[in-house]
Amino acid sequence: MSEAQVYTHTIQSGSNRENCEAPGRSILLTDNLWRGAGIALVVVLWQLGVNLGWINSFLMGSPAGIAEEAWRLLQSGQLLDDTLATVSATIAGFLLGSVLGSVCGLLLWFSRTTARIIDPFMVALNGLPKIALAPMIIIWFGSGMFSKIMLAFVATFVVALLSAYQGTHQIDRNMINLMRSLGGSRREIFTKVVAPATLPWIISAFRLNIGFALIAEIGGEFISSDRGLGRMIFVAGNLFNLNVVWVGVIVLMMVAIALYVVVSKVEKRLLPWENK
Amino acid sequence: MNAPVSHALPLEQPQAIAPPRQSVISLEGVRKTFASPGNDSVEVIRDITLDIKQEEFVSIVGPSGCGKSTMFNIISSLLEPSDGKITLRGSDPVCGARIGYMLQRDLLFPWRTIIDNVCLGLEVKGVSKAKRYEMAREQLARYGLADFADQYPNTLSGGMRQRVALIRTLITEPDLILLDEPFSALDYQTRLVLEEEIVSILKEHRKTVVLITHDIGEAIAMSDRVAVMTKRPTSVKKVYDVGLSRELGSCLKARSDVRYQQLFDRIWDDLDIQVAGGAA
Repeated sequence: MSEAQVYTHTIQSGSNRENCEAPGRSILLTDNLWRGAGIALVVVLWQLGVNLGWINSFLMGSPAGIAEEAWRLLQSGQLLDDTLATVSATIAGFLLGSVLGSVCGLLLWFSRTTARIIDPFMVALNGLPKIALAPMIIIWFGSGMFSKIMLAFVATFVVALLSAYQGTHQIDRNMINLMRSLGGSRREIFTKVVAPATLPWIISAFRLNIGFALIAEIGGEFISSDRGLGRMIFVAGNLFNLNVVWVGVIVLMMVAIALYVVVSKVEKRLLPWENK
Repeated sequence: MNAPVSHALPLEQPQAIAPPRQSVISLEGVRKTFASPGNDSVEVIRDITLDIKQEEFVSIVGPSGCGKSTMFNIISSLLEPSDGKITLRGSDPVCGARIGYMLQRDLLFPWRTIIDNVCLGLEVKGVSKAKRYEMAREQLARYGLADFADQYPNTLSGGMRQRVALIRTLITEPDLILLDEPFSALDYQTRLVLEEEIVSILKEHRKTVVLITHDIGEAIAMSDRVAVMTKRPTSVKKVYDVGLSRELGSCLKARSDVRYQQLFDRIWDDLDIQVAGGAA
Protein backbone atom coordinates (compact mmCIF):
# COMPACT_ATOMS: atom_id res chain seq x y z
CA MET A 1 0.00 0.00 0.00
CA SER A 2 2.88 2.32 -0.62
CA GLU A 3 0.61 3.87 -3.22
CA ALA A 4 -1.76 5.02 -0.53
CA GLN A 5 1.11 6.53 1.38
CA VAL A 6 2.25 8.46 -1.62
CA TYR A 7 -1.22 9.87 -2.12
CA THR A 8 -1.74 10.73 1.52
CA HIS A 9 1.57 12.44 1.48
CA THR A 10 0.56 14.44 -1.55
CA ILE A 11 -2.65 15.47 0.11
CA GLN A 12 -0.78 16.54 3.20
CA SER A 13 1.84 18.41 1.30
CA GLY A 14 -1.04 20.07 -0.49
CA SER A 15 -2.36 21.45 2.75
CA ASN A 16 1.12 22.45 3.85
CA ARG A 17 1.47 24.40 0.68
CA GLU A 18 -1.71 26.21 1.65
CA ASN A 19 -0.03 27.22 4.87
CA CYS A 20 2.98 28.49 2.98
CA GLU A 21 0.80 30.61 0.78
CA ALA A 22 -1.02 32.04 3.73
CA PRO A 23 1.64 34.66 4.67
CA GLY A 24 1.03 38.15 3.42
CA ARG A 25 2.07 39.87 0.21
CA SER A 26 5.30 41.29 1.56
CA ILE A 27 6.61 37.89 2.62
CA LEU A 28 5.67 36.48 -0.77
CA LEU A 29 7.53 39.34 -2.43
CA THR A 30 10.64 38.76 -0.34
CA ASP A 31 10.52 35.05 -1.14
CA ASN A 32 10.28 35.79 -4.82
CA LEU A 33 13.16 38.27 -4.61
CA TRP A 34 15.33 35.58 -3.03
CA ARG A 35 14.30 33.09 -5.69
CA GLY A 36 15.13 35.56 -8.46
CA ALA A 37 18.45 36.34 -6.84
CA GLY A 38 19.25 32.62 -6.63
CA ILE A 39 18.57 32.11 -10.32
CA ALA A 40 20.56 35.23 -11.26
CA LEU A 41 23.52 34.04 -9.21
CA VAL A 42 23.57 30.63 -10.92
CA VAL A 43 23.30 32.24 -14.36
CA VAL A 44 26.07 34.76 -13.66
CA LEU A 45 28.44 32.16 -12.17
CA TRP A 46 27.73 29.78 -15.05
CA GLN A 47 28.41 32.42 -17.69
CA LEU A 48 31.48 33.62 -15.81
CA GLY A 49 32.78 30.05 -15.63
CA VAL A 50 32.26 29.64 -19.38
CA ASN A 51 34.00 32.95 -20.13
CA LEU A 52 36.95 32.09 -17.90
CA GLY A 53 37.23 28.66 -19.46
CA TRP A 54 36.38 26.75 -16.24
CA ILE A 55 33.21 25.31 -17.75
CA ASN A 56 33.13 23.52 -21.07
CA SER A 57 30.25 25.16 -22.89
CA PHE A 58 30.20 22.38 -25.50
CA LEU A 59 29.26 19.84 -22.80
CA MET A 60 27.29 22.14 -20.49
CA GLY A 61 25.88 24.89 -22.68
CA SER A 62 26.04 28.49 -21.61
CA PRO A 63 23.44 31.05 -20.54
CA ALA A 64 24.33 33.34 -23.41
CA GLY A 65 24.10 30.46 -25.88
CA ILE A 66 20.77 29.37 -24.42
CA ALA A 67 19.39 32.88 -24.74
CA GLU A 68 20.61 33.12 -28.29
CA GLU A 69 19.04 29.79 -29.30
CA ALA A 70 15.83 30.65 -27.49
CA TRP A 71 15.58 33.91 -29.40
CA ARG A 72 16.29 32.21 -32.70
CA LEU A 73 13.72 29.45 -32.05
CA LEU A 74 11.17 32.00 -30.95
CA GLN A 75 11.63 34.11 -34.03
CA SER A 76 11.39 31.19 -36.40
CA GLY A 77 8.20 30.17 -34.63
CA GLN A 78 9.51 26.65 -34.16
CA LEU A 79 9.60 26.88 -30.38
CA LEU A 80 6.00 27.97 -30.24
CA ASP A 81 4.90 25.18 -32.60
CA ASP A 82 6.78 22.52 -30.65
CA THR A 83 5.54 23.81 -27.32
CA LEU A 84 1.96 23.93 -28.50
CA ALA A 85 2.19 20.43 -29.93
CA THR A 86 3.62 18.99 -26.72
CA VAL A 87 1.35 20.92 -24.40
CA SER A 88 -1.85 20.15 -26.31
CA ALA A 89 -1.08 16.42 -26.60
CA THR A 90 -0.07 16.27 -22.93
CA ILE A 91 -3.20 18.05 -21.76
CA ALA A 92 -5.46 15.96 -23.99
CA GLY A 93 -3.98 12.68 -22.78
CA PHE A 94 -3.81 13.91 -19.19
CA LEU A 95 -7.45 14.98 -19.11
CA LEU A 96 -8.68 11.89 -20.91
CA GLY A 97 -6.75 9.52 -18.64
CA SER A 98 -7.33 11.35 -15.38
CA VAL A 99 -11.04 11.97 -15.90
CA LEU A 100 -11.88 8.53 -17.28
CA GLY A 101 -9.65 6.85 -14.70
CA SER A 102 -11.27 8.74 -11.83
CA VAL A 103 -14.75 7.95 -13.09
CA CYS A 104 -13.93 4.26 -13.45
CA GLY A 105 -12.29 4.19 -10.02
CA LEU A 106 -15.36 5.79 -8.47
CA LEU A 107 -17.73 3.43 -10.26
CA LEU A 108 -15.80 0.45 -8.90
CA TRP A 109 -17.35 1.39 -5.54
CA PHE A 110 -20.59 -0.13 -6.80
CA SER A 111 -19.07 -3.54 -7.33
CA ARG A 112 -16.64 -4.93 -4.82
CA THR A 113 -16.50 -8.13 -6.85
CA THR A 114 -15.33 -6.41 -10.02
CA ALA A 115 -12.83 -4.41 -8.00
CA ARG A 116 -11.48 -7.55 -6.36
CA ILE A 117 -11.12 -9.37 -9.65
CA ILE A 118 -9.33 -6.61 -11.52
CA ASP A 119 -7.22 -5.50 -8.57
CA PRO A 120 -4.06 -7.52 -9.42
CA PHE A 121 -4.22 -6.34 -13.03
CA MET A 122 -4.45 -2.74 -11.95
CA VAL A 123 -1.54 -3.17 -9.55
CA ALA A 124 0.54 -4.76 -12.33
CA LEU A 125 -0.36 -2.02 -14.79
CA ASN A 126 0.36 0.61 -12.20
CA GLY A 127 3.81 -0.80 -11.55
CA LEU A 128 4.61 -1.04 -15.24
CA PRO A 129 6.61 1.91 -16.58
CA LYS A 130 4.09 3.04 -19.17
CA ILE A 131 6.83 4.18 -21.51
CA ALA A 132 7.49 0.48 -22.17
CA LEU A 133 4.24 0.51 -24.11
CA ALA A 134 5.43 3.34 -26.36
CA PRO A 135 6.80 1.20 -29.23
CA MET A 136 3.51 -0.66 -29.49
CA ILE A 137 1.37 2.42 -29.22
CA ILE A 138 3.45 4.18 -31.86
CA ILE A 139 3.10 1.18 -34.18
CA TRP A 140 -0.67 1.20 -33.67
CA PHE A 141 -1.33 4.92 -33.78
CA GLY A 142 1.57 6.26 -35.85
CA SER A 143 4.24 8.77 -34.96
CA GLY A 144 1.91 11.77 -34.94
CA MET A 145 0.49 13.49 -31.91
CA PHE A 146 -2.38 11.03 -31.54
CA SER A 147 -0.04 8.29 -30.37
CA LYS A 148 1.37 10.74 -27.77
CA ILE A 149 -2.13 11.46 -26.53
CA MET A 150 -2.71 7.74 -26.16
CA LEU A 151 0.57 7.34 -24.28
CA ALA A 152 -0.29 10.12 -21.86
CA PHE A 153 -3.73 8.59 -21.50
CA VAL A 154 -2.31 5.17 -20.60
CA ALA A 155 0.18 6.75 -18.20
CA THR A 156 -2.48 8.65 -16.28
CA PHE A 157 -5.51 6.37 -16.41
CA VAL A 158 -4.40 3.68 -13.97
CA VAL A 159 -3.02 6.18 -11.46
CA ALA A 160 -6.31 8.06 -11.44
CA LEU A 161 -8.32 4.87 -11.25
CA LEU A 162 -6.39 3.43 -8.31
CA SER A 163 -6.36 6.71 -6.46
CA ALA A 164 -10.11 7.23 -6.81
CA TYR A 165 -10.83 3.63 -5.89
CA GLN A 166 -8.62 3.82 -2.82
CA GLY A 167 -10.33 7.06 -1.92
CA THR A 168 -13.69 5.32 -1.88
CA HIS A 169 -12.26 2.92 0.70
CA GLN A 170 -11.31 5.67 3.11
CA ILE A 171 -14.84 6.90 3.55
CA ASP A 172 -16.15 6.91 7.09
CA ARG A 173 -18.51 3.94 7.34
CA ASN A 174 -20.67 5.99 9.67
CA MET A 175 -21.39 8.53 6.95
CA ILE A 176 -22.73 5.78 4.73
CA ASN A 177 -24.74 4.36 7.62
CA LEU A 178 -26.17 7.79 8.25
CA MET A 179 -27.33 7.98 4.65
CA ARG A 180 -28.83 4.51 4.97
CA SER A 181 -30.67 5.43 8.13
CA LEU A 182 -32.10 8.46 6.35
CA GLY A 183 -33.38 6.14 3.64
CA GLY A 184 -30.83 7.04 0.98
CA SER A 185 -30.51 4.77 -2.03
CA ARG A 186 -27.16 3.43 -3.22
CA ARG A 187 -27.15 6.05 -5.93
CA GLU A 188 -27.75 8.81 -3.40
CA ILE A 189 -25.02 7.44 -1.16
CA PHE A 190 -22.73 7.55 -4.18
CA THR A 191 -23.56 11.10 -5.25
CA LYS A 192 -23.88 12.63 -1.79
CA VAL A 193 -21.08 10.83 0.07
CA VAL A 194 -18.78 8.68 -2.04
CA ALA A 195 -18.08 11.12 -4.86
CA PRO A 196 -17.49 14.26 -2.77
CA ALA A 197 -15.50 12.36 -0.14
CA THR A 198 -13.22 10.98 -2.84
CA LEU A 199 -12.70 14.31 -4.57
CA PRO A 200 -9.51 15.21 -2.63
CA TRP A 201 -7.99 11.88 -3.72
CA ILE A 202 -8.96 12.53 -7.30
CA ILE A 203 -7.40 15.98 -7.24
CA SER A 204 -4.19 14.61 -5.78
CA ALA A 205 -4.07 12.02 -8.58
CA PHE A 206 -4.50 14.86 -11.06
CA ARG A 207 -1.49 16.58 -9.54
CA LEU A 208 0.65 13.44 -9.80
CA ASN A 209 -0.59 12.85 -13.32
CA ILE A 210 0.83 16.13 -14.61
CA GLY A 211 4.26 14.59 -14.19
CA PHE A 212 3.27 11.18 -15.54
CA ALA A 213 1.62 12.68 -18.63
CA LEU A 214 4.70 14.77 -19.39
CA ILE A 215 7.02 11.77 -18.99
CA ALA A 216 4.89 9.72 -21.37
CA GLU A 217 4.64 12.58 -23.84
CA ILE A 218 8.35 13.37 -23.95
CA GLY A 219 9.31 9.70 -23.91
CA GLY A 220 6.98 9.08 -26.83
CA GLU A 221 8.45 12.01 -28.74
CA PHE A 222 11.97 10.66 -28.11
CA ILE A 223 11.02 7.38 -29.72
CA SER A 224 9.24 8.63 -32.76
CA SER A 225 7.63 11.92 -33.60
CA ASP A 226 7.42 14.71 -36.10
CA ARG A 227 7.03 17.61 -33.66
CA GLY A 228 7.21 18.64 -30.05
CA LEU A 229 9.61 19.74 -27.34
CA GLY A 230 10.69 16.14 -26.72
CA ARG A 231 11.67 15.76 -30.34
CA MET A 232 13.48 19.11 -30.24
CA ILE A 233 15.46 18.03 -27.18
CA PHE A 234 16.19 14.60 -28.62
CA VAL A 235 17.42 15.91 -31.97
CA ALA A 236 19.51 18.68 -30.40
CA GLY A 237 21.02 16.21 -27.94
CA ASN A 238 22.10 13.93 -30.75
CA LEU A 239 23.75 16.93 -32.42
CA PHE A 240 25.46 17.94 -29.15
CA ASN A 241 23.60 21.25 -29.26
CA LEU A 242 23.29 21.55 -25.49
CA ASN A 243 21.94 25.09 -25.65
CA VAL A 244 18.84 23.95 -27.53
CA VAL A 245 18.45 21.04 -25.09
CA TRP A 246 18.43 23.59 -22.26
CA VAL A 247 15.83 25.70 -24.03
CA GLY A 248 13.58 22.65 -24.26
CA VAL A 249 14.16 21.69 -20.63
CA ILE A 250 13.44 25.19 -19.36
CA VAL A 251 10.23 25.47 -21.40
CA LEU A 252 9.13 22.06 -20.10
CA MET A 253 9.67 23.22 -16.53
CA MET A 254 7.56 26.27 -17.21
CA VAL A 255 4.85 24.09 -18.71
CA ALA A 256 4.89 21.81 -15.66
CA ILE A 257 4.59 24.77 -13.29
CA ALA A 258 1.76 26.25 -15.33
CA LEU A 259 -0.17 22.97 -15.28
CA TYR A 260 0.44 22.62 -11.57
CA VAL A 261 -0.92 26.11 -10.95
CA VAL A 262 -4.00 25.32 -13.03
CA VAL A 263 -4.68 22.12 -11.04
CA SER A 264 -4.23 24.03 -7.78
CA LYS A 265 -6.70 26.65 -8.92
CA VAL A 266 -9.17 23.97 -9.91
CA GLU A 267 -8.64 22.32 -6.54
CA LYS A 268 -9.49 25.54 -4.75
CA ARG A 269 -12.69 25.81 -6.74
CA LEU A 270 -13.69 22.19 -6.24
CA LEU A 271 -12.70 21.82 -2.60
CA PRO A 272 -13.85 25.09 -1.05
CA TRP A 273 -14.26 23.43 2.35
CA GLU A 274 -10.54 22.75 2.54
CA ASN A 275 -9.67 26.44 2.32
CA LYS A 276 -9.35 27.86 5.75
CA MET B 1 -33.22 -15.23 30.49
CA ASN B 2 -33.33 -13.17 33.61
CA ALA B 3 -36.11 -10.65 33.48
CA PRO B 4 -35.08 -7.05 34.05
CA VAL B 5 -35.99 -5.91 37.52
CA SER B 6 -37.20 -2.41 38.10
CA HIS B 7 -35.66 -0.77 41.13
CA ALA B 8 -37.52 2.26 42.28
CA LEU B 9 -35.61 4.52 44.61
CA PRO B 10 -36.98 5.16 48.07
CA LEU B 11 -38.41 8.57 47.31
CA GLU B 12 -40.41 10.73 49.63
CA GLN B 13 -42.76 11.83 46.89
CA PRO B 14 -44.06 9.85 43.95
CA GLN B 15 -42.09 10.27 40.75
CA ALA B 16 -43.28 12.87 38.31
CA ILE B 17 -43.73 10.47 35.46
CA ALA B 18 -46.65 10.85 33.13
CA PRO B 19 -49.39 8.19 32.83
CA PRO B 20 -48.70 5.12 30.69
CA ARG B 21 -48.13 6.01 27.07
CA GLN B 22 -47.91 4.22 23.81
CA SER B 23 -44.65 2.40 23.40
CA VAL B 24 -42.40 3.67 20.60
CA ILE B 25 -39.91 0.89 20.40
CA SER B 26 -39.89 -2.41 22.13
CA LEU B 27 -37.18 -5.01 22.08
CA GLU B 28 -38.19 -8.51 23.02
CA GLY B 29 -35.57 -11.13 23.67
CA VAL B 30 -33.19 -9.57 21.17
CA ARG B 31 -30.12 -11.72 20.64
CA LYS B 32 -27.16 -11.27 18.36
CA THR B 33 -24.42 -13.71 17.52
CA PHE B 34 -21.65 -13.19 15.03
CA ALA B 35 -19.98 -15.91 13.03
CA SER B 36 -16.30 -15.98 13.84
CA PRO B 37 -13.39 -17.70 12.12
CA GLY B 38 -13.30 -21.36 13.08
CA ASN B 39 -17.03 -22.07 12.90
CA ASP B 40 -17.68 -20.84 16.42
CA SER B 41 -20.22 -18.13 16.75
CA VAL B 42 -19.71 -15.38 19.26
CA GLU B 43 -22.67 -14.35 21.30
CA VAL B 44 -22.53 -10.61 21.77
CA ILE B 45 -26.05 -9.94 22.95
CA ARG B 46 -27.90 -12.61 24.87
CA ASP B 47 -31.21 -11.06 25.72
CA ILE B 48 -32.38 -7.50 25.64
CA THR B 49 -35.97 -6.86 26.54
CA LEU B 50 -36.84 -3.23 26.85
CA ASP B 51 -39.93 -1.21 26.18
CA ILE B 52 -39.59 2.48 25.53
CA LYS B 53 -42.64 4.70 25.75
CA GLN B 54 -43.62 7.85 23.94
CA GLU B 55 -41.59 10.89 25.04
CA GLU B 56 -39.45 8.83 27.35
CA PHE B 57 -35.69 9.35 27.72
CA VAL B 58 -34.02 6.02 28.39
CA SER B 59 -30.32 5.45 28.83
CA ILE B 60 -28.53 2.20 28.27
CA VAL B 61 -25.40 1.94 30.39
CA GLY B 62 -22.98 -0.90 30.19
CA PRO B 63 -19.42 -1.80 31.06
CA SER B 64 -16.98 -1.21 28.23
CA GLY B 65 -17.05 -3.95 25.64
CA CYS B 66 -20.66 -4.80 26.36
CA GLY B 67 -21.64 -4.78 22.72
CA LYS B 68 -22.68 -1.17 22.74
CA SER B 69 -22.17 -0.59 19.06
CA THR B 70 -23.96 -3.82 18.20
CA MET B 71 -26.89 -2.63 20.28
CA PHE B 72 -26.77 0.71 18.52
CA ASN B 73 -26.73 -0.89 15.09
CA ILE B 74 -29.62 -3.17 15.99
CA ILE B 75 -31.80 -0.41 17.41
CA SER B 76 -31.02 1.83 14.45
CA SER B 77 -31.91 -1.15 12.23
CA LEU B 78 -28.54 -1.20 10.51
CA LEU B 79 -28.18 -4.77 11.79
CA GLU B 80 -30.72 -7.56 12.02
CA PRO B 81 -30.94 -9.35 15.36
CA SER B 82 -30.25 -13.09 15.25
CA ASP B 83 -33.27 -13.71 17.40
CA GLY B 84 -36.02 -11.76 19.07
CA LYS B 85 -38.26 -8.99 17.92
CA ILE B 86 -38.06 -5.24 17.56
CA THR B 87 -41.25 -3.32 17.13
CA LEU B 88 -41.23 0.30 16.17
CA ARG B 89 -44.45 2.21 16.19
CA GLY B 90 -44.34 5.52 14.51
CA SER B 91 -46.31 8.66 14.92
CA ASP B 92 -45.64 10.14 11.51
CA PRO B 93 -44.21 7.51 9.23
CA VAL B 94 -44.75 9.54 6.06
CA CYS B 95 -42.44 12.47 6.60
CA GLY B 96 -39.84 11.18 8.96
CA ALA B 97 -36.93 8.88 8.97
CA ARG B 98 -38.09 6.46 11.62
CA ILE B 99 -34.95 6.55 13.68
CA GLY B 100 -32.61 9.49 13.80
CA TYR B 101 -29.28 9.22 15.50
CA MET B 102 -26.40 11.23 16.77
CA LEU B 103 -22.95 9.85 17.41
CA GLN B 104 -19.87 10.89 19.28
CA ARG B 105 -18.58 12.24 16.00
CA ASP B 106 -20.96 14.75 14.51
CA LEU B 107 -20.64 13.24 11.03
CA LEU B 108 -21.27 16.55 9.37
CA PHE B 109 -20.18 16.25 5.76
CA PRO B 110 -17.16 18.55 5.42
CA TRP B 111 -18.03 19.31 1.77
CA ARG B 112 -21.47 20.63 2.64
CA THR B 113 -22.26 23.97 4.17
CA ILE B 114 -24.05 23.95 7.51
CA ILE B 115 -27.43 24.50 5.92
CA ASP B 116 -26.86 21.74 3.38
CA ASN B 117 -25.81 19.42 6.17
CA VAL B 118 -29.00 20.20 8.04
CA CYS B 119 -30.99 19.55 4.86
CA LEU B 120 -29.44 16.16 4.15
CA GLY B 121 -32.36 14.08 5.43
CA LEU B 122 -34.95 16.28 3.76
CA GLU B 123 -33.04 16.09 0.51
CA VAL B 124 -33.06 12.30 0.63
CA LYS B 125 -36.78 12.43 1.38
CA GLY B 126 -37.29 14.49 -1.75
CA VAL B 127 -38.40 17.74 -0.10
CA SER B 128 -38.04 20.63 -2.55
CA LYS B 129 -35.03 22.87 -2.18
CA ALA B 130 -37.01 26.01 -1.32
CA LYS B 131 -39.03 24.16 1.28
CA ARG B 132 -36.08 22.45 2.94
CA TYR B 133 -34.02 25.63 3.07
CA GLU B 134 -36.93 27.40 4.67
CA MET B 135 -37.24 24.66 7.30
CA ALA B 136 -33.49 24.56 7.89
CA ARG B 137 -33.15 28.33 8.24
CA GLU B 138 -35.95 28.39 10.74
CA GLN B 139 -34.33 25.71 12.88
CA LEU B 140 -30.85 27.21 12.61
CA ALA B 141 -32.21 30.57 13.68
CA ARG B 142 -33.97 28.97 16.59
CA TYR B 143 -30.72 27.59 17.96
CA GLY B 144 -28.64 30.67 17.26
CA LEU B 145 -26.79 29.19 14.30
CA ALA B 146 -28.34 31.31 11.54
CA ASP B 147 -25.11 33.20 10.91
CA PHE B 148 -23.27 29.97 10.18
CA ALA B 149 -25.71 28.64 7.60
CA ASP B 150 -23.37 29.15 4.66
CA GLN B 151 -20.13 28.18 6.37
CA TYR B 152 -18.40 24.85 6.21
CA PRO B 153 -18.33 22.65 9.32
CA ASN B 154 -14.58 23.04 9.86
CA THR B 155 -15.11 26.64 10.94
CA LEU B 156 -17.38 25.64 13.83
CA SER B 157 -16.49 24.50 17.34
CA GLY B 158 -17.19 20.97 18.51
CA GLY B 159 -20.22 21.99 20.53
CA MET B 160 -21.70 23.97 17.66
CA ARG B 161 -21.14 21.08 15.29
CA GLN B 162 -23.00 18.73 17.63
CA ARG B 163 -25.85 21.22 17.75
CA VAL B 164 -25.97 21.24 13.96
CA ALA B 165 -25.94 17.44 13.99
CA LEU B 166 -28.90 17.49 16.38
CA ILE B 167 -30.83 19.86 14.13
CA ARG B 168 -30.07 17.62 11.18
CA THR B 169 -31.50 14.71 13.17
CA LEU B 170 -34.58 16.56 14.43
CA ILE B 171 -35.56 18.14 11.15
CA THR B 172 -36.65 14.81 9.65
CA GLU B 173 -38.93 14.28 12.66
CA PRO B 174 -37.91 10.74 13.54
CA ASP B 175 -40.06 8.63 15.86
CA LEU B 176 -37.08 7.75 17.96
CA ILE B 177 -33.80 9.50 18.53
CA LEU B 178 -30.83 7.36 19.30
CA LEU B 179 -27.82 9.00 20.91
CA ASP B 180 -24.50 7.16 21.00
CA GLU B 181 -22.19 8.94 23.43
CA PRO B 182 -22.83 12.21 21.66
CA PHE B 183 -20.75 14.24 24.10
CA SER B 184 -17.72 12.12 24.76
CA ALA B 185 -15.55 14.04 22.29
CA LEU B 186 -16.28 17.36 23.97
CA ASP B 187 -14.63 19.03 26.92
CA TYR B 188 -16.37 18.78 30.27
CA GLN B 189 -17.93 22.24 30.36
CA THR B 190 -19.26 22.12 26.80
CA ARG B 191 -20.57 18.72 27.66
CA LEU B 192 -22.60 19.90 30.64
CA VAL B 193 -24.00 22.83 28.67
CA LEU B 194 -24.88 20.70 25.68
CA GLU B 195 -26.36 17.96 27.87
CA GLU B 196 -28.73 20.51 29.32
CA GLU B 197 -29.51 22.04 25.99
CA ILE B 198 -30.16 18.79 24.21
CA VAL B 199 -32.44 17.48 26.93
CA SER B 200 -34.48 20.67 26.80
CA ILE B 201 -34.62 20.66 22.99
CA LEU B 202 -35.69 17.04 22.93
CA LYS B 203 -38.35 17.64 25.55
CA GLU B 204 -39.59 20.66 23.70
CA HIS B 205 -39.94 18.54 20.57
CA ARG B 206 -41.56 15.80 22.67
CA LYS B 207 -39.09 13.25 21.42
CA THR B 208 -38.52 9.71 22.50
CA VAL B 209 -34.84 9.17 23.13
CA VAL B 210 -32.48 6.28 23.73
CA LEU B 211 -29.01 7.22 24.93
CA ILE B 212 -26.29 4.61 24.78
CA THR B 213 -23.34 5.54 26.94
CA HIS B 214 -20.86 4.31 29.47
CA ASP B 215 -20.96 7.59 31.34
CA ILE B 216 -23.09 6.81 34.39
CA GLY B 217 -23.38 10.45 35.41
CA GLU B 218 -24.62 11.54 32.02
CA ALA B 219 -27.19 8.77 32.00
CA ILE B 220 -28.55 9.71 35.43
CA ALA B 221 -28.54 13.42 34.73
CA MET B 222 -30.50 13.14 31.51
CA SER B 223 -32.79 10.14 31.71
CA ASP B 224 -36.21 9.08 32.86
CA ARG B 225 -34.98 5.52 33.12
CA VAL B 226 -31.56 3.90 33.08
CA ALA B 227 -31.10 0.34 31.90
CA VAL B 228 -27.90 -1.25 33.19
CA MET B 229 -26.36 -3.93 31.04
CA THR B 230 -24.21 -6.89 31.95
CA LYS B 231 -20.89 -7.74 30.37
CA ARG B 232 -20.82 -9.73 27.16
CA PRO B 233 -22.96 -11.62 26.29
CA THR B 234 -25.12 -8.68 27.18
CA SER B 235 -28.48 -8.71 28.82
CA VAL B 236 -30.42 -6.16 30.85
CA LYS B 237 -29.32 -6.36 34.48
CA LYS B 238 -31.49 -3.74 36.09
CA VAL B 239 -33.69 -0.84 35.13
CA TYR B 240 -33.80 2.23 37.35
CA ASP B 241 -36.51 4.85 37.34
CA VAL B 242 -34.72 8.17 37.50
CA GLY B 243 -36.55 11.17 36.10
CA LEU B 244 -34.38 13.65 38.01
CA SER B 245 -33.94 16.10 35.17
CA ARG B 246 -37.64 15.94 34.36
CA GLU B 247 -38.56 16.51 38.00
CA LEU B 248 -36.01 19.24 38.67
CA GLY B 249 -36.13 20.76 35.21
CA SER B 250 -32.40 20.68 34.65
CA CYS B 251 -29.56 18.23 34.22
CA LEU B 252 -27.23 20.35 36.31
CA LYS B 253 -29.68 20.36 39.17
CA ALA B 254 -30.07 16.62 38.73
CA ARG B 255 -26.34 16.26 39.11
CA SER B 256 -26.35 18.06 42.45
CA ASP B 257 -29.36 16.20 43.84
CA VAL B 258 -28.68 13.75 46.66
CA ARG B 259 -30.37 10.94 44.74
CA TYR B 260 -27.89 11.38 41.90
CA GLN B 261 -25.02 10.12 44.02
CA GLN B 262 -27.07 7.25 45.41
CA LEU B 263 -27.99 6.11 41.95
CA PHE B 264 -24.46 6.59 40.76
CA ASP B 265 -23.14 4.28 43.50
CA ARG B 266 -25.71 1.63 42.79
CA ILE B 267 -25.15 1.61 39.06
CA TRP B 268 -21.41 1.59 39.61
CA ASP B 269 -21.84 -1.53 41.77
CA ASP B 270 -24.07 -3.12 39.15
CA LEU B 271 -21.51 -2.58 36.44
CA ASP B 272 -19.00 -4.47 38.57
CA ILE B 273 -16.07 -2.61 37.08
CA GLN B 274 -12.70 -3.99 38.11
CA VAL B 275 -10.42 -1.17 39.06
CA ALA B 276 -6.85 -2.14 38.31
CA GLY B 277 -4.68 -2.07 41.41
CA GLY B 278 -7.67 -1.34 43.61
CA ALA B 279 -8.21 -3.03 46.95
CA ALA B 280 -9.63 -6.46 46.28
